Amino acid sequence: MEALVEARNLHKVYKADGVETPALRGVDFTARAGEFTAIAGPSGSGKSTLLHLLGGLDLPTEGEVWLDGERLDEKSAVTRARLRLWKVGFVFQAYNLIPVLTALENAAFVLELRGLPARERAERARAALAELEMESFADRKPNQLSGGQQQRVAVARALAAEPAVIFADEPTANLDSKTGLALIEYMKRLNREKGVTFIFSTHDPRLLEHVRRVVHLEDGRIAYEEDRS
Amino acid sequence: MWTLAWKNVWRGRGRSLVTAGAVAAVVAMMLVMYGFSGAMLNGMFQNLTRTTGHLVLRVKNADEVREFDLGLVRGVPELKSAIVQALPEADVEAVLEVPALLAGASRSRGVVLMGLEPDGHLMKELVDKYRVRGAPPTDGAEWTAALGLALARALQVDVGDPVYAFAPGTDGLGAAAFTVSAVLDLPESTMEGRTAVLTLRAAQELAAPDAASRIVVFLPGLKSLEQSGVLEAARRRLQPLVPSGYEVLTWREAQPALAAILDMIKPMMLIYAVLFFVLAGLLVVNTVYLGLVERIREFGVIIALGADRWRIMRLVVLESLLLVTSGAAFGGVLGGLAVWRLAQGFSLPGNLAQQYAEFGLPVVMYASITPGQVVQVFAFAVLTAIASALWPAWLAGRLEPVEAMRHVA
Repeated sequence: MEALVEARNLHKVYKADGVETPALRGVDFTARAGEFTAIAGPSGSGKSTLLHLLGGLDLPTEGEVWLDGERLDEKSAVTRARLRLWKVGFVFQAYNLIPVLTALENAAFVLELRGLPARERAERARAALAELEMESFADRKPNQLSGGQQQRVAVARALAAEPAVIFADEPTANLDSKTGLALIEYMKRLNREKGVTFIFSTHDPRLLEHVRRVVHLEDGRIAYEEDRS
Repeated sequence: MWTLAWKNVWRGRGRSLVTAGAVAAVVAMMLVMYGFSGAMLNGMFQNLTRTTGHLVLRVKNADEVREFDLGLVRGVPELKSAIVQALPEADVEAVLEVPALLAGASRSRGVVLMGLEPDGHLMKELVDKYRVRGAPPTDGAEWTAALGLALARALQVDVGDPVYAFAPGTDGLGAAAFTVSAVLDLPESTMEGRTAVLTLRAAQELAAPDAASRIVVFLPGLKSLEQSGVLEAARRRLQPLVPSGYEVLTWREAQPALAAILDMIKPMMLIYAVLFFVLAGLLVVNTVYLGLVERIREFGVIIALGADRWRIMRLVVLESLLLVTSGAAFGGVLGGLAVWRLAQGFSLPGNLAQQYAEFGLPVVMYASITPGQVVQVFAFAVLTAIASALWPAWLAGRLEPVEAMRHVA
């Protein structure tokens, strides 16, 4: 099967006050449609950087990033934004819901950016919330939800847009282990039942037991890869 | 985006209320100021033209003529009749102003004897309106004159007393005795100290038989400064009737200094509007900018989710527009109510009304605002909103999503 997401010889060096800090040192990575992939590694190993580059949020210092047949690293900021809007979903460690919007409005937000009619986006957002058993919290604002609930809304926001791939950057890092595991189970179910492609990062080894494919990063390089399928 | 923008506007409620309140105050103030300036303009225009007329027929360059008889319009009855035929709706009156010496029993003053038609518009305006005591001058065996209060005091005369007018070197009698029939409390002190009103016939017999200093034309349909078309149309109809050596002037041309004062009011108001909106704009910039700084992380998320820089900029501008238009709407209601109230009639407080009457301002004024001025105020508000949001919007549009999401406020 053709690669949905691909990175070739990816390098990323951060520069601040004249100091160069390499975050990625020649990473090659491939994910196919329908895969459920974890990127594991300790803090500072380059997990978040890799996800940002794969999702078109940032540009590599060197190397190529391909998403659904399009080379992201050569695209302008506006084109990358358009590609993210239509092909990529994001779930962040800190939930990053918009505090003034309700759970339903948050879940519908990407659809609103796409310009879908209000009725359609409400239907799709409600369905996405229902998938994550959050429908009864649709009218609540983020500050009225627990951390786990907020992260489920964040997943619903990504899910409602039906992107080609959802990148989740340490989605369980701010959750207790039970809630984190439950979230991973939700994501796995969506992957299994709906064929949603997930690429997520974690530094929690307990979660990795529930994942088929794990890519281990160390010091900005892929140390090894596990495939338990 | 509208929902998000609206909710964002009221996220910092106190700050937004202060800013929207400032915009509301500026909009309300500008509407009131425009209403007030409209009241001033219309009041001054009506006050001015009430005594000068809307059109004036006189000797060409009369202001530069130094000799009394060379500044006189001759053949007044024929000219009046021709004007009435050309402008049947107009009131046409002749005025004869005679520089003279007026003496009481023991004192004398240099004055202007103003000969007016007894049943005319000007006699009503000057004598009926400002008469403190006595009766208007009439033609009779015993000629009568109405004196300004200050002049009567200076001559130490009052109603019923005789005064003697001397106008040597003129074509008339050159001297005549009058009885003071009335005392006038005129709005302009200079005029009050040197004006005596006679009937036109008396003035003509004294100084210039069948002549006048000018023929004034009142156009009943002309109520405000804005109707310059009516004025020009009337002037065009009169132009062919004017004999050689005479000219027809509009009130503007006859009173260029006062017309210039009136013409200054609108640009002044525009300058005030710009200044006030610039001040309000600075507050809006501050509010929108702080809103951006406090939400950099959130903007990063929105960009990460797929919003491009133009959409982010539109969101910032939209927030500014919603904030300002909310304030403008509230200010519009407040200002509209205030203008409506002032349109019922108002006076300046205390002695101000009397002081400003010297400059031709009526004691009772009526606020008046044009639809164009209302549109202008709201257009300024919208421009302020857009201009104030440009810089914060530009900053927001340049945010990099990863850096923005790492931002700590």
